[in-house]
Amino acid sequence: MTGRVLVITSGKGGVGKTTTTANIGTALAKAGNKVVLIDTDLGLRNLDLLLGLENRIVYTIVDVVEERCKLKQALVKDKKNPNLCLLAAAQTRDKTAITGEQLKSICEELKEENDFIIIDCPAGIEQGFENATAGASEAIVVATPEMSAVRDADRIIGLLEAKEHIEKYNLLLNRVRPNLIKTNDMMSVDDVVEILSCKLIGIIPEDTGIITSTNKGEPIVNDEKSLAGQAYQNVAKRIMGEDVEFLDIDQPQDFISKVKAFFLNLFKKEA
Amino acid sequence: MKEIFADIYNKVVDFFTKTEEKDKTKDVARNRLKLVLMQDRTNLNPRLLERLRGEMIDLLSKYVVMDKELLELNFTPEDDQLALMLSIPVIRAKDEEEIEAALKAEDEEKERLAKLAQEADEDEDDEADDDNNEDDEFENDTEEDENSDLEDNSQDNEETKEASSELSENTEEHPKKKKKKKHKKKKNQQLEENVENEENKQETSNTSEQNENNNQEEVKEEQNEENKEEHQE
Repeated sequence: MTGRVLVITSGKGGVGKTTTTANIGTALAKAGNKVVLIDTDLGLRNLDLLLGLENRIVYTIVDVVEERCKLKQALVKDKKNPNLCLLAAAQTRDKTAITGEQLKSICEELKEENDFIIIDCPAGIEQGFENATAGASEAIVVATPEMSAVRDADRIIGLLEAKEHIEKYNLLLNRVRPNLIKTNDMMSVDDVVEILSCKLIGIIPEDTGIITSTNKGEPIVNDEKSLAGQAYQNVAKRIMGEDVEFLDIDQPQDFISKVKAFFLNLFKKEA
Repeated sequence: MKEIFADIYNKVVDFFTKTEEKDKTKDVARNRLKLVLMQDRTNLNPRLLERLRGEMIDLLSKYVVMDKELLELNFTPEDDQLALMLSIPVIRAKDEEEIEAALKAEDEEKERLAKLAQEADEDEDDEADDDNNEDDEFENDTEEDENSDLEDNSQDNEETKEASSELSENTEEHPKKKKKKKHKKKKNQQLEENVENEENKQETSNTSEQNENNNQEEVKEEQNEENKEEHQE
């Protein structure tokens, strides 16, 4: 088996790299793939929190690199899905504790027994970014429809293009708010895609469910009803090569607009 | 029309239950975060906790009989400080004799370890011979052997087992009482072994073989004791 190695990156912090990693990983594992998630944000790890695995981490990636344990020992199995594993970052070290070469060899080893290796990249374009991208052959650039995020995404795309081992990269637009786009107060998906001229792999709507799911330590893809969960599910399908239409994210979110939409639908039917 | 009202009703119910849930996840987040931050700040990790737990059990089981499966060792945040919470389900306290015996066994074990360390320096081949003999001897009466393989050190394991056989000789005056205790313990032990086996799948098969031996030995031993009891009665 030769797995695919994807890196989730963005340049700017706080756009949802870690959330994206947790959700795409969970969705891929739910579809029957063997998946390993690697947190490369040494010193600022958070992927364990989003997966609810913070109390199960015994060994970290630094322990593997420094040969205090075997790679398999350091993989923490997900609570729900045995197909999903986490290789956590060390919380007490900094980005210099591992090198790109070391991460690459870890990926090579994991490739043999897994379908997908998904690397959560730290924010920034320094050593951490270089390390995280070293072993990957594909990249997903996460951005939100904000000026600063798009600008940083453009910089990242430039850096990725310069790397020969990155065969392809796609854009994932996160925290999209249809209401603001409707009133022309937010750049639309098309605007961002045009500016970055990059292939789109997913549009994730802003969803309050993300907050509660993070609180619980359970990725939102496990919630079939949530719009963001469905959107992530679709991203996973596209990664697996399926041709899925983009979700209509302009759906009522809060209770009042749901009731409104309900009555509007009702009148439509009557008419 | 009925459907419409049912739908509205569901949505209203949904709305209210959702807000309740939100409050709950807020508390979940708060508690998880507090714990994680404490761990980060104090640099405590689960590996350390597990070791501490093992040693706590070793220490406490010298004085009390307890349900080890239910023993909880947790660090919980309390007034901006980290509190070490230890919850021990005590079944009964041990009597003087048992405590003495356990202490004695421990001393002997220490001596044995020291001796073995010496021997190992002098001649490494002796160890192998020892191993073969021990297999026939060991009994599983003491508390010590249950957690000794936390470190996966098969050698340590055997040492404690031998020490335990000595302890059992010392406490044989109360066969009936002991047997009750043993049943409970056996259950625990098997549970623990299962867990351990799962965890150590990647480890060498040494330990699991030992466990198997262990179980067989246990069954035999129990039969013996049952016979003994019948005779007494």
